[in-house]
Amino acid sequence: MNIIELSEPLHKTIFFLLEIGVIFGSLGVVLLNNIVYSAFFLGLVFFCISLLYFALNADFIAAAQILIYVGAVNVLIVFAVMLINKPHSSKIRPSWTIGDKFTFFICLSLFSLLVSVIFNTPWFNITLITESKNLLEIDFTKNVQRIGYRLLTQFLLPFELLSIVLLVALIGAIVIARRENLIRTKEKKKLQIEKNPRIF
Amino acid sequence: MLEHVLNLGAYLFCIGIFGLITSRNMVRALMCLELIFNAVNINLITFSNSFDTQETKGEIFVMFVIAIAAAEAAIGLAIVLAIYRNKNSTRIDQFNLLKW
Repeated sequence: MNIIELSEPLHKTIFFLLEIGVIFGSLGVVLLNNIVYSAFFLGLVFFCISLLYFALNADFIAAAQILIYVGAVNVLIVFAVMLINKPHSSKIRPSWTIGDKFTFFICLSLFSLLVSVIFNTPWFNITLITESKNLLEIDFTKNVQRIGYRLLTQFLLPFELLSIVLLVALIGAIVIARRENLIRTKEKKKLQIEKNPRIF
Repeated sequence: MLEHVLNLGAYLFCIGIFGLITSRNMVRALMCLELIFNAVNINLITFSNSFDTQETKGEIFVMFVIAIAAAEAAIGLAIVLAIYRNKNSTRIDQFNLLKW
C-alpha cells in the first residue's frame, strides 16, 4: 500500500526538486568557509532527505529523520559551532591545496565508478522476481505496524543492544564534555589573594 | 527511477568523503560524516521500497543506523569540545600528539 499515489510527472517533479535541494545543500556544507552557513545547509539537506523518504513510502523513517537528525543532531552541531569561536576569514570558498585536488579526483572517479555500476546492473530482472512474490502475499497493515512487529520479534536483540549503546553514549558524552573545575578554583582563589596586596 | 535515487545516494557519499578528508575544521568533518550516513540510509530505503515492500528490512536497518549515528555525533562533538578547551584550536592537522 503506497502512501502517495500521484501521477507520474508530479512524482518526478517532486523528486527533481528534492534532489536539487540535496545537491546544492551538500555542496554548501562542504565548500563554504563560514561554518554556521554549513551547519544550516546541513539542516536543509536533512529536511530534503526526509521529504524524499516520504516520497519513497517510508513514513516512519521520515518522521524519525526529522525528529532525530534535524531536531537533535543538527541542533547539537549548531551548539558546537557556536561554542567554538573562531575568527572567520573573508573569503567565501577556501583555497584548494594539492591534496584537495587529488582528493577531488579520487572522489570523482569513485562517483563515476558507482554510477557506472548502477547503470549497468539489470534492475528489471530483480524487480520482476520480487514483485511477483509480493503480488501473492499482499499485506494490508500500515508501515509503523510492520516495523514495530519486526522490531519486537525478529530484531529484538539489536533493539535492546541499541538502547544500551544510547545509554552509554549519553553518559560518555556528559563525562567527556563536562568542565572539571574541582582543582582549579582553589588555585584561582590563591592567585586572587596574592594579587590584592599589590594594588594597595 | 530507482537508478535516479541510487545516483543521488552515491553523489552524497562521494561529497561526504571529499568533505571529510579535506576539511580543516573538526566540526565540519563530523558534518560530512553525517552526510555519509544519510547517503547510506537513502540507499537502504530505496532498496527496501523497490524490492522488499512486505518485510521492510531496509527500514529497520535505517533505524539502527540513525540511532548509532546520533550517538556517535554526540560523543564526537563532546571530544571536539574537550580538545578545543585544552588547545584553543580546531584544526585537525595540529593534533599530532599521538603520532609516533
